[in-house]
Amino acid sequence: MSNRAVELPIFAEGIVGFGPPPAASPYLVGGHCSSCDRWYFPRVDRCRHCHVTLEPGSLGSRGTVYSYTIVRTKPPLGLPQPYAVAYVDLADRPLRIFMLTDPVKTDDIAIGQAVELAVTPLGVNRHGEPCRRPYFKPVTPPRIR
Amino acid sequence: MTAIIGIGITPFGSFVDRTIVSLGVEAGLAALRDAEMPATRVQAGFFANALAARLFGDTTVGQNVVAALGLDGVPVVNVENACTSGSTAFYLAQLAIESGEADVVLAVGAEKMCVPGLGLIDSGSTELDTQLGLVTPASFALRATRHMHEFGTTPRQLALVAAKNRRHAELNVKAMFRKPESVEDILNSPMIADPLTRSQCCPIADGAAAILLASDRVAASLRRTVPVRSAVLRSGAYDGLPDLARWNTDHRTAQLAYEKASIGPADIDVVECHDAFTIAELMHCEALGLCELGAGGALVESGATTLGGRVPVNVSGGLLSRGHPVGATGLAQIHELVVQLRHEAGKRQVEACRAGLAHCMGGDKGGDAKSCTVVILSR
Repeated sequence: MSNRAVELPIFAEGIVGFGPPPAASPYLVGGHCSSCDRWYFPRVDRCRHCHVTLEPGSLGSRGTVYSYTIVRTKPPLGLPQPYAVAYVDLADRPLRIFMLTDPVKTDDIAIGQAVELAVTPLGVNRHGEPCRRPYFKPVTPPRIR
Repeated sequence: MTAIIGIGITPFGSFVDRTIVSLGVEAGLAALRDAEMPATRVQAGFFANALAARLFGDTTVGQNVVAALGLDGVPVVNVENACTSGSTAFYLAQLAIESGEADVVLAVGAEKMCVPGLGLIDSGSTELDTQLGLVTPASFALRATRHMHEFGTTPRQLALVAAKNRRHAELNVKAMFRKPESVEDILNSPMIADPLTRSQCCPIADGAAAILLASDRVAASLRRTVPVRSAVLRSGAYDGLPDLARWNTDHRTAQLAYEKASIGPADIDVVECHDAFTIAELMHCEALGLCELGAGGALVESGATTLGGRVPVNVSGGLLSRGHPVGATGLAQIHELVVQLRHEAGKRQVEACRAGLAHCMGGDKGGDAKSCTVVILSR
């Protein structure tokens, strides 16, 4: 990854955090309600149930694939053709979230697969500017076909 | 109680020379003529449209349609509820009559969306999911993948839904796609989002539909009227663990509609449901109680939902083959039920048709729909 690529902004604010150097491992950021202990992704202003302000918090970086699809038609937002997406059950929080999956190895995906978060230059944001996006990739090595 | 006293519909297709207003007026006029009712008798109008603001910068189009029909001054509401815009307009029209606010109300839905550069529909550019690549076909493909995983639904069973609705549309002169398509051709059409091929995705379309409703007192002196037994609108639920294989919002909404109508799924003779994608029809049939959970594939395979079967579904051709002008669809579904219940459907008449159900669903949020409507009519 070039230095220039590292400078690209994440596609949207408040979604991804990075751990301490040198690894700076990415993790997802959501919202937490200190009153009822509910978690939200993405973080919104208030808890839907308690109406108190949500605090930002880590949702971790791992999960399990619940469902997936490979989008083969003309992609939006400068995404590659094809690109893959999934609903992932997060390991650390009771959430099932929608996320991109490995943009290069789109076929290497299955329900029940263990995945971990990564970040890469991918497409453009809603203002048309090149950006980085998070995605989930397999934790286990690719299956031999 | 409320009754339907008049219906109207335009052909669905690509009409570059037509405006939304002219389509809406055509359907509205047809409904007034069908009811033999002068426009000036209408006391309120609910106009459904989903995309005019986004595509053309046009807002409050409803007043243009109602004024063109010769009505001034009456309350008009412009209704946008994604794919349920039309059925939500119907729900509001029925509420206006039930509340005593009006005794003759027109619900019209019109859409013009066959324009260059439309692209894929999504749930809005500010939504995080949209910015991560969620487009509507992917949303349904994710459900198909999970449904196949949990229940063993096969690609062939999905394709059968499209083949069925193509065959039904052959009998509907107003439908967009009226040529039969084999299961093989459907499966071999270009893949949009695994496992949904292009023929398994509903086409965009231009078109309009209109329903004229009235109180029982007004309807009593008219002919060919159809009572409304229930009309229910509900929103989805968003608590962070969406079930992609079971449509709970559908099920909740349908349960309430059945209760209000005092009938059950076994009493329904004909169904129009929101088959935006083949998997959707399978899941809706399960949620509506036409078969067991997970058995939607077996249901379509058995022929039960084909014209001539136990409970024909989407005899009009559905969204898949009639086309999906978004604002008009919810009303077009109800239009079909009325034609069937009046026994005026000709070659696509469902035998001994006494009770019909129209189901519609719209929008996408957190793995669930945003809106769901179920309307039950019976004579």
